[in-house]
Amino acid sequence: MNRVRLASVVLGGGFGFILSWAHFVDPDQIRRMLLFQEPYMWEMFAVAVGVGFVGLRVMRRLGLRSLLTGEPVRWSVAKPQRRHLVGATIFGVGWAVSDVCPGPVAAQLGQGVIWSLPLLAGIGIGIALYFRREQAPGPRTKRAARRRPASAAAPVALPASNPD
Amino acid sequence: MHNALLDRPAWYVVGAFLGLIVIAAFALLNERVGVVGGFSDFVERATGRRPALGWKAWFAIGIVGGALVFRLLAGGATVGHGHHFSWLTRALGSGGGLAAGAILLVAGVLIGFGAKTASGCTSGNGLGGCSAGSPASFVATGTFMAVAIAVSFLLRAVT
Repeated sequence: MNRVRLASVVLGGGFGFILSWAHFVDPDQIRRMLLFQEPYMWEMFAVAVGVGFVGLRVMRRLGLRSLLTGEPVRWSVAKPQRRHLVGATIFGVGWAVSDVCPGPVAAQLGQGVIWSLPLLAGIGIGIALYFRREQAPGPRTKRAARRRPASAAAPVALPASNPD
Repeated sequence: MHNALLDRPAWYVVGAFLGLIVIAAFALLNERVGVVGGFSDFVERATGRRPALGWKAWFAIGIVGGALVFRLLAGGATVGHGHHFSWLTRALGSGGGLAAGAILLVAGVLIGFGAKTASGCTSGNGLGGCSAGSPASFVATGTFMAVAIAVSFLLRAVT
């Protein structure tokens, strides 16, 4: 196992352990969060983002380099697009129905929770559908292709799958 | 040890640890954490879209391993109460296991498709993207949280 893979497994291991310890993997906790019945998850999320936000800027300000890649610590940001709203809306419905999101699903699998299996299968199908839709030409592209001779048809530009 | 792990630590302790993992991902790999990207790596590998698993797939494998270690150390799972998984399995009753599984499958499809379309889930947009200060992640996070809150209240009202 190379160093990047090992570091990824160790980071994920810490993430899975913390998600489990915080009971973030328990759908009842997420439901209480979403129904504003307890502030624990909101407070935890706010602290996590706050620590990450400050920490990343400190690293960038100090000009630190990533230990395994040697690159300067930096990142790009994206402007909101329609797909962020549409995708987040679809995701929010699935999250509210199941009270589970992808990280906790993986942790549930590790804890041996059988209910994680239909969720995992569904997430896999959803991702496959995304790629299928991404590859399919849209209605405008179809109309444009009908108007153009075949030799002039340009390849469909695919959006970057994970710019964020 | 068992009791210490089965009781939740204070929210600021857990939050700080999660924030440190976001920082560590940059310090080690110069990457933004995300879990749906790891699941996507598996789908892309299985369908021949990529020749090998990316770092996020190994991150997801680590999550499974970390939760397994937790369960072994804690002596029990931190999911479900009695035979029930969530409000859904309670609402459908003991004979509704198949229906609950089908509904969870559909919910999973929405989660996978929606998170890929929005370029991230609660981890990728919520933790990683918001920590990076990405406007798109702030919009996506605000949207999925608002929708999930509204749908949760709606479900409580009708069930």
